[in-house]
Amino acid sequence: MFKEVYPIVRDDYANAGKVSTHVKGVLKQLAIPSDILRRIAVACYEAEINMIIHSFGGEIMLEISDEGNVYLSFNDNGPGIENVEKALTPGYSTASKKAREFGFGAGMGLPNIKRVSDSFELNTSSKGTRLRIGFYI
Amino acid sequence: MRVVTYTLHKCVKCMRCLKTCPCEAITIKDERVQISAQKCINCGECISACNHSGLSAKGSTLVDLQNYERSVCLVPSSIYCDCASQLEAKRLNAALMKLGFDELVSLSCYEGAVYQKVNDLLKENDKGLYISTFCPVVNEMIEKQYPMLLDNQIDFEYPAVLAARDVRKKYGKAAGIFLLCECPAKLTLGKYPYGNMQSEIDHCLSIVDLFPQINENKSDDEAELELCQEGIKSVATSLGQRFDAQILSVNGMDKVRKALELSEFGLLKEVRYLSLSACFNGCIGGQFLWGNPFNGRINMHELLKSANRKPKEYTLEEIRGFKNEPKVQPKNMLEQLHSFMAINEVFDHLPGYDCGACGYPSCRSMAEAIVEGTQTLHDCKIIRKRGQHAG
Repeated sequence: MFKEVYPIVRDDYANAGKVSTHVKGVLKQLAIPSDILRRIAVACYEAEINMIIHSFGGEIMLEISDEGNVYLSFNDNGPGIENVEKALTPGYSTASKKAREFGFGAGMGLPNIKRVSDSFELNTSSKGTRLRIGFYI
Repeated sequence: MRVVTYTLHKCVKCMRCLKTCPCEAITIKDERVQISAQKCINCGECISACNHSGLSAKGSTLVDLQNYERSVCLVPSSIYCDCASQLEAKRLNAALMKLGFDELVSLSCYEGAVYQKVNDLLKENDKGLYISTFCPVVNEMIEKQYPMLLDNQIDFEYPAVLAARDVRKKYGKAAGIFLLCECPAKLTLGKYPYGNMQSEIDHCLSIVDLFPQINENKSDDEAELELCQEGIKSVATSLGQRFDAQILSVNGMDKVRKALELSEFGLLKEVRYLSLSACFNGCIGGQFLWGNPFNGRINMHELLKSANRKPKEYTLEEIRGFKNEPKVQPKNMLEQLHSFMAINEVFDHLPGYDCGACGYPSCRSMAEAIVEGTQTLHDCKIIRKRGQHAG
């Protein structure tokens, strides 16, 4: 029912977190219960940072269904996640030295996102990764 | 409860307040400033921004002293930030007494008690992030803009509220309890003039309005000074800061906002306690203090040496009781979504300059007004101008 798309640029550390802040601001205006909003904020931020660090860029999509459920999609243009099982293991990280210098890359991104979301779909290939997470109201 | 008042004949419609307000609470309609009580957080930024004294916040006056058998004045530690020595502070106290009070009660020991209890709480409990509640502006900001963090707020009372409770217990209804306020927001802690009827504080006084009288009263006379180190540390942030990594003290509106944003994302992982004050350098940066928070900090550091009182003893249960909760009922999410989308649609037609010429602080807030039906697209000056050129 409601849909907004935001572009993400590769290695754009200067703007890291801006999309998540915007998404959080939009959802706050919709009077979403605090506990759900907190989970959405955490997941959105983690995934946004993941895209900036690891991907060639792409877009984030915010959708709200007719029932009021919130869906976030993170679609990038590659290079894909080499080992999904490992990427979902807490503490495992392939982040570059540059990313670590910025304080990112603790290896908690995907496991955290999975933990806080109500639905979690991850498809990856060398052409790109598509992550779609849902939060049920 | 909104403390800022507007004086029409002083206003030149310069729109400074409109642009400064951090909550978009101000609009200019029919050549008049209007402040939304729902959005305003009493920070007083608009008062500072106004070059023509068109906006102000007033407290009660000393005339009210006559209504009580006994009058007690609650004095915050921050007022002494203008005193370079203990002697000056004692003289200030004498001058305060001469305003007509029967007794001064220093808030220092109460401020110290809250400060200490926070430390105790951190030792005992291991439950994630705590956020301070001693700044009324921050409390309103969290309630209105960061509701996700309401549960993180410590439920401790304001030091002034604790002190007023003690005074009431001692003297009963016959006593008039007056609070000296260092900022506009603290004026809301009392019954008068802003109608906080649950409070034991009867009247709130603006320090800056009393200043001429206090100054006149100053002489070589001295009165007893009660200061406690923990109390001083709690009102001047940089003095209270401990570097054991778990306590973070943040001051100034924009920095506070940044800290709250980060907390919402769960990014302040190592921090156990966020001590937040809207004013620069803590309460000594309050708008009603005539000194400045730079010298103020140095002076407070000096007073720290001679402060020898112990903080009041409280159990955790006694100090608890504050509750910050949303005052408006949560709305239906889907209804909100519909109006949000309607606003988006209108917003797309507006120029997006946030020029303020229509009297709304941003194109977004103008779009809200258009959806509500109080404005039309033609009230946008830019759109009208474009229309004229096209026609």
